[in-house]
Amino acid sequence: MGPVDHLFSICTAIVTLPLLAFALIMIFAWKKPKVALAISLVCSTIPLILAWYLFLTVRDVSLAKPIVTQVEWLVSSDGFRIPFGFLIDPVSLLMLVIVATIAWLIQIYSIGYMEGDPGFGRYYADLSLFGMAMLSLVSANGLLQLFISWELVGLASYLLIGFWYEKFSASEAGKKAFVVTRFGDIGFFMGLAFLTIYFGTLDITAVNLAGLKHTMPQWLLTTTSLLIFCGVAGKSAQFPIHVWLPDAMEGPTPVSALLHSATMVAAGVYLITRLFPFFAASPTTCSVILAISTITLLLSSTIGMVARDIKQVWAYSTISQLGFMAMGLAAAGLVGGNLFAGYYHLTTHAAFKALLFLCAGVFIHHFGTNDFFVMSKEGGRYLKIPMVTVTIGALALAGIFPFSGFFSKEAVMGVLWSLPSKIWVTLGLFGAFLTAYYTFRVIFVLLFPRPDDHKAWEEYYEVPATAHSHGPAHSHGHGPHGDFSHDDAHAHTGSAPGHQHDEAHSPHGHGDEHHGVPWVMSFPLIVLAGFTLVLGFLQGRLEGFLLGESHPHELNYTLLILAVGAALLGIGMAWRDWGAKSATWQGFIRNFPSLENFFIQKWYMDHFWRWFLDTVIYGLFSKWFTYNDRRVVDGGVDAVSFSCIGGGRLLSLLQTAFLQYNLLFMVLVLAGLGIYLLMGL
Amino acid sequence: MTEHMASFPVLSCMLLAPVVGLFILLFLKEEQGFLVRMVSLVSAGISFALSIYTFVGYDKQLGGLQFVEKYPWVKAFGITYFVGVEGMNAPLLLLTGIVIFTGVLTMWELKERVREYFIFQLALVTGVFGVFMSYDMFFFFLFYEIAVVPMYILILIWGSTRKIYAAMKLTLYLMAGSGLIIPGILMLYSSSGLFTFDMLQLHGVAFAPWIQKIAFVFMYLGFGVLAGVWPFHTWSPVGHVAAPTAVSMLHAGVLMKLGSFAILRVAMYLCPEGFQYWAQFMGLLAAVGIVYGVFVGLAQTDLKYVIGYSSVSHMGIVGLGLATGTVDGLNGAVFQMFAHGVMTALFFSAVGFIYDRTHTRDILELGGMSKIMPVASAFFITAALCGAGVPGMASFWAELLVLVSAVKVFPVRGLFAIASLVIGALFALRVVQNTFFNDPNPKFAHFEDVSPFLGLPRMILIGFMIFFGLFPQVMVGLIKTSIVPFIQGM
Amino acid sequence: MLIFNQLETYLYLAVILFAIGLYGVLSRRNLIAVLISVELMLNAASINFMAFNRFLAPHPAVGQVITLFIMAVAAAEAAIALSIIMAVYRKLKSINVEQATELRG
Repeated sequence: MGPVDHLFSICTAIVTLPLLAFALIMIFAWKKPKVALAISLVCSTIPLILAWYLFLTVRDVSLAKPIVTQVEWLVSSDGFRIPFGFLIDPVSLLMLVIVATIAWLIQIYSIGYMEGDPGFGRYYADLSLFGMAMLSLVSANGLLQLFISWELVGLASYLLIGFWYEKFSASEAGKKAFVVTRFGDIGFFMGLAFLTIYFGTLDITAVNLAGLKHTMPQWLLTTTSLLIFCGVAGKSAQFPIHVWLPDAMEGPTPVSALLHSATMVAAGVYLITRLFPFFAASPTTCSVILAISTITLLLSSTIGMVARDIKQVWAYSTISQLGFMAMGLAAAGLVGGNLFAGYYHLTTHAAFKALLFLCAGVFIHHFGTNDFFVMSKEGGRYLKIPMVTVTIGALALAGIFPFSGFFSKEAVMGVLWSLPSKIWVTLGLFGAFLTAYYTFRVIFVLLFPRPDDHKAWEEYYEVPATAHSHGPAHSHGHGPHGDFSHDDAHAHTGSAPGHQHDEAHSPHGHGDEHHGVPWVMSFPLIVLAGFTLVLGFLQGRLEGFLLGESHPHELNYTLLILAVGAALLGIGMAWRDWGAKSATWQGFIRNFPSLENFFIQKWYMDHFWRWFLDTVIYGLFSKWFTYNDRRVVDGGVDAVSFSCIGGGRLLSLLQTAFLQYNLLFMVLVLAGLGIYLLMGL
Repeated sequence: MTEHMASFPVLSCMLLAPVVGLFILLFLKEEQGFLVRMVSLVSAGISFALSIYTFVGYDKQLGGLQFVEKYPWVKAFGITYFVGVEGMNAPLLLLTGIVIFTGVLTMWELKERVREYFIFQLALVTGVFGVFMSYDMFFFFLFYEIAVVPMYILILIWGSTRKIYAAMKLTLYLMAGSGLIIPGILMLYSSSGLFTFDMLQLHGVAFAPWIQKIAFVFMYLGFGVLAGVWPFHTWSPVGHVAAPTAVSMLHAGVLMKLGSFAILRVAMYLCPEGFQYWAQFMGLLAAVGIVYGVFVGLAQTDLKYVIGYSSVSHMGIVGLGLATGTVDGLNGAVFQMFAHGVMTALFFSAVGFIYDRTHTRDILELGGMSKIMPVASAFFITAALCGAGVPGMASFWAELLVLVSAVKVFPVRGLFAIASLVIGALFALRVVQNTFFNDPNPKFAHFEDVSPFLGLPRMILIGFMIFFGLFPQVMVGLIKTSIVPFIQGM
Repeated sequence: MLIFNQLETYLYLAVILFAIGLYGVLSRRNLIAVLISVELMLNAASINFMAFNRFLAPHPAVGQVITLFIMAVAAAEAAIALSIIMAVYRKLKSINVEQATELRG
């Protein structure tokens, strides 16, 4: 009858096809880019179609009545059964299409971006691995399957961040990402262990029901939810373990777009959404989440204000927006609201943040640098499609009508407004101001480059030496041409090998703008921009889809004005500092130099963690344990053997080799025996 | 336990195939290098095939001991040749088969004294197979000793770093462990009143609690030396570093499991009250070993030392699972024995390939190997990820089972063990980064990548690891059939 | 009764001889002197046997046979001992027992 009968097979297909792609490519095709691409595209298009099919046709599900299909995966004892299965309800359906769509668009985009890279096959294999893990994560029914997918997503992230592994910074960043998220994940694991032992099952529906009906003891609820939040904090880069995400920008930009803005980092927030009734049942946890996410929102916005690398700005923006989403969910939990606001912002954010990253990718690919000041000088504004779409994305991020960001930010602010204390919504508004400011700092710098003799260039023109220029992916033209009829601006000259990598310095006469960007790269930009424009107006329908009914909102005009005001204020400040003709290109923060330095040093968080690692982990524990092993434990063993040898040497001193002592000893023993026998008997 | 006699002596064939191979090798000459290797490979292959057969052919519905062969040996002392297969030892027999087969393939490039090497290696493997399949304490111990003694020669002649010291230390330390085991065994033998070494019969005897406590601790510490129980583990890193590649694979992969398997099969089986008494202590030592191993591994610069300390940590997980005394914990412990065995064999195999070419294992000297030999590097990296506990590979499930049941029974120790997962990830990735990523060392730039033939053993190991990672029920379903009656019988 | 008709006399004699021989074996430094002392001890044992034979044993020949045995054994042993002493002398150029300590621990 419809999709419901074959739900299990469809979902299994969605999840396992990318896994198949990963396996096939890694075993057979990792040196054959075209084959790898074909396998990967097939195994991501089919899930895309299936996900949309499910999204559009599965009816009769709601949060209260999900469809659950599963099989037994591991049965160790009656108390320990791990199922493998899927939970289909509006939340997971929506996330499935988000993930599938954006992953597919990224794969298309990467055709152009990663062209010519020697690791092309490996790249698509890793993307497929990620796809499988993420799709399994969002549709999992058991928390353990979710945890497994969570870890696998982290693995894919590690492989992709450290993709250009010859670069020390890249391999370092990959390791950092894995270890820091693992640090959060041990909390997650502990939470799952407690749930298994004291609650008996890891079934999401059961856990949510227990939260809803308060059938779980409160201590268990609070402890477990806090522990699970540790995992969320790691994956969604919340304070204080957010430090891995900016470094993760070492990976190729499409990876940053897919993993580290739209989907993987959203997995943490998605988990809160998935377990919303469970989290909402514990006010303590919600307060903690609220506090941490607010700190995250503000902290990362301030760092984004002073960054020069466009990917870093977007990365810090992602961190702060994730905080914003979590604020929405936590606040809703505290006031008895619903998950819509935070989740809606997740949806819109996925679209416009991926868009922002992909646009950045176009600029990076074109100019060979991540520094947007240099891009500006080299004529970034003349790449039409990216410039337009990046502005659309920026407007959405800043929360300007009619873009999707406006609607979702309003929704979250509305939830914050309904909290008893107005401090939260104030901080949220401040965050909105900062967001608009740093976003438009980038846009205005790109749009309005200063003339060459402007004194701002004295400061801004040192191009940081390799910084984040991504090695070989910058197509040297050795890649397979011909298949993709792209006219990359520089390949236009006839694809001669040995054509320079630093055409960044060639003047911006690239001819027609529509030759500036290959269509495989501009197509996703246009699609995402389309989503950004449209999603805002679908708010009502989405709410109905997710919650079962749409709540008519009375508009809170005060809040509306405040929010729009904050955004416009931010844009205005940015215009004053960066856009206007008289702008000095020095942020207003320059007036507080120590504060500015504090932000540039990323609030010294990296220093703190580095210190923790070096002094505490390596210096204290590791060194002490090693010393203990070598000297104390092993020393004990060696001491045993030395004492045996020494004892033997001591005893051998008894061997005097004097003939007569031996004889004397013999005689004494005999005499003793004789006396004993003669007397004692 | 019900015993189902074997229609065809599968287990004896498995046990004797290496012996036959050994005898044939005695008549060959050193110059017939290819023939020597083929004979070893064929005898290892026969055992491997038979171990797969017993693993797959074990009837889970029937349960009990299957493929049993029982012949009285020395009636005066009550010694019988009693071998059988059940859920607990089938995975370990399979593990031995896998590791010896891939080990022979890994040592294909050995150049000096090849014939003698394979003779000793086959002798060692005979001992290992014998331990896993024996249900008579005398033969159990006999095979145990056969498994330990050839190590000395193998490390002494074909080893590398500090081989004399390592060979001596390893052998003497393991002998000291045996010195603790024998009193335990004999204590049980003499106080049972039955004058038999048959474990199943002894299980039925209710020993006095004081006898159980003393016998258990003797056997636990004695077997624990081989199992790498902290603090009796220091022979292991030194020994693994010095040993040649396949010997390390066998030793860390299989021999250390002999120790923990023996704790399970002999000590816990025959002295349940002794076990209850000492369980907290066991859990403590195991938890310390887990945390300790990862921290010390963090400071190492020799690749094999890193793997050695990782083994100490993972064997701690086995010990922790055993100490919980629950179905899940024991399931996890046996699964971890298998999973870790495969993983460690893969580790050493991968390192061996690199060492054979670069003659260094210092991670500060090596670098960028992924660029030079990507496939060989991928083997090590896969093993490292497995060691870090990434799902999709067998040891994830094993650790999951053990850690969750550990939290139930020993909350504090269990939580510390979970916390060590992050340090485990750190040291695994640190090694990977230093050895395989970053700039290649120009000294090694000209080496070729692994050929398909040499890649075969590593692929086999990865295949098993991933297969049981994706379908853990195949393994756990089998292990369960023997653990559940085991726990009930306690 | 004449003391010469009492057993104790000869036993005392044997004991004194044995003690002198024992003292000599244990304290003389010259290997030949040790050998002589050993002969003394053997003779003391013979006297002991003869004494018991004369006063207690039923058959008169037993003690005498044993004494002859002792003498034969003593002769053989002296031969061997002297050849060992010769070998020691060749090695150490001395027959002082304090020099023969190579088996020292």
